[in-house]
Amino acid sequence: MSEEVQIRGRDFVGYRIGGAIAALLLFVALAWQTVELFDGDNITSPEVRWSASVVNGREVTPGSDADSGLLAQQILAARTRMQEDRQNTGPAPGEPAPRLALGEGEYLTESPMPFDPALTRSWAIADGETAAMLRPRERLVGISSLPYVGAALFERPDGRDWRLGMADFVTHLGAWAMLGFAFLLALILAIRGRVPIAKGRSQEKIRRFGFIERANHWMTATSFVGLAITGVAIGYGDTLIRPFGERTLGTIGWWATWSHSIFLPSFTLGLVVMAVYWLYRNLPSKLDWTWLRRGGGFFSDDPDNPPARKFNAGQKLIFWSAILGGLVMIVTGLLLMFPFYVLGIEGTSWAMLTHAVVAALLIAIFLGHIYIGTVGMQGAFWAMWDGLVDKNWAEEHHELWVEELEAKRGGRA
Amino acid sequence: MTRVKFLCDAERCIECNACATACKNENEVPWGMVRRRVVTFSDGEPGERSIAISCMHCTDAPCVAVCPVSTLYQTDIGVVLHDKDTCIGCGYCFYACPFGAPQYPQASLFGSRGKMDKCTFCAGGPEENGSQEEFEKYGRNRIAEGKLPLCAEVCSTRALLAGDGDTVAEIYRERVVARGFGSGAWGWQTAYYPEGEG
Repeated sequence: MSEEVQIRGRDFVGYRIGGAIAALLLFVALAWQTVELFDGDNITSPEVRWSASVVNGREVTPGSDADSGLLAQQILAARTRMQEDRQNTGPAPGEPAPRLALGEGEYLTESPMPFDPALTRSWAIADGETAAMLRPRERLVGISSLPYVGAALFERPDGRDWRLGMADFVTHLGAWAMLGFAFLLALILAIRGRVPIAKGRSQEKIRRFGFIERANHWMTATSFVGLAITGVAIGYGDTLIRPFGERTLGTIGWWATWSHSIFLPSFTLGLVVMAVYWLYRNLPSKLDWTWLRRGGGFFSDDPDNPPARKFNAGQKLIFWSAILGGLVMIVTGLLLMFPFYVLGIEGTSWAMLTHAVVAALLIAIFLGHIYIGTVGMQGAFWAMWDGLVDKNWAEEHHELWVEELEAKRGGRA
Repeated sequence: MTRVKFLCDAERCIECNACATACKNENEVPWGMVRRRVVTFSDGEPGERSIAISCMHCTDAPCVAVCPVSTLYQTDIGVVLHDKDTCIGCGYCFYACPFGAPQYPQASLFGSRGKMDKCTFCAGGPEENGSQEEFEKYGRNRIAEGKLPLCAEVCSTRALLAGDGDTVAEIYRERVVARGFGSGAWGWQTAYYPEGEG
């Protein structure tokens, strides 16, 4: 390694300890998420049981919850019998009501019951006679004389597939992608340390971003973080907020839903302005290939990084993730805000799945962006904060850009 | 063990829409929403048939599984209920529902769907059974009164059956044997036997 190297990544001990702690916490979260994947509770199980406490003025034996529950079920089953054809069943007007029926002002009661998927599993088994009655599942849409959107739909078995896609696939793998990538970044910080300005800080500063570029970046960033937090609150509230109570979850969910759409205009405007300012310089070029092949020089402290103009290939990837990913999110988001204006139920449910998948990916990608822009690289943050970067930083990461600037200045002088 | 179900005898339904009307009236379902509908196939052609459909109160209910705020829950007789106080109107239950049951208020602002409404099997909601508050939010709680959904009890041809699944299936089979034909239990495979082969 050349003698030019004044600062090494591994010298940032404080950052590395922080990274190690974060990596440890994220590893625990990742392990827990893995357990969640396989713990077999992805089945709907009854949460409430019915019971009868008073029947026709007679109190049901106290303390026998099971019996009163059974009684409630017998009352309903007895009533079901009355739907037989009229020649087979009573009561005729004036006849006494069936023996097993509640009297005036008597109500069944509901009480919480523990998680027990066994009941659901027993329901899912059809006996021979019932199995013979079943029609194959198929998508069925007819016509309806009722004037409501979607009234003509009878059956769409794909609803169950959507549930599988959303509740099992997207939610768990999304969490995996986000936590896993965050874990990786923390691990990199712990082992590799920050990417240093190898030659140390110089006295000279170069202007990298103007005021409008920076203001727009932070407006978009705030909107993105707002969208991400409210989105995660909706998508993972069941795991993250439910332990604090279902009422709390409902209230936070309601606020999250509303704020989620409130961030839309600023996010959209930010992307448009970004495209106007940065699109030209983010068009791919041959240099990007070299840069990517050398991994951007990320893992070495050597100041000789692959050459780049104003934006290197990594930054270009971030730019295009924001623009293309953002576009997908805005379009699907708008479709979801106005169901039935453009798409029907099937189209909207695909829009929802796309929205969720791209959201998880974008959050993971931008965790990387936030990392490299703050703790991951010495001196990078100031480019977007006051717009000025250290000359040595610029030369190490964007040497062609610095040459461009100097050529311009030289030409003017 | 009682597990309640809906069964509509497609050979008996005459598309009178009494179920839909009685439901709206009994539960005072708000304007623009409908908990029970009648769908007609092959209208005006040989083999025309109508079938009433609402929430089927599925086994391993997909709506309950996807609800991000635990608004939806199931009871030990299979009824799927909802809590209007926690619903955020996200629409997930609507995407996951195999029968198009969840409904949203039409008057919505900026794409907010408002509080979801759906068939409760005439079993109200989390409020105290038989209370005025429960009635205003969810309609009548007939189950707590030991009765069955009004749509089925009002059905003039007894096409729509509701209640204990085994009893309902038995009534239907006796009927099919007596008259010699029947097209089977529509929607049951999707609703109640999700693991069976389609």
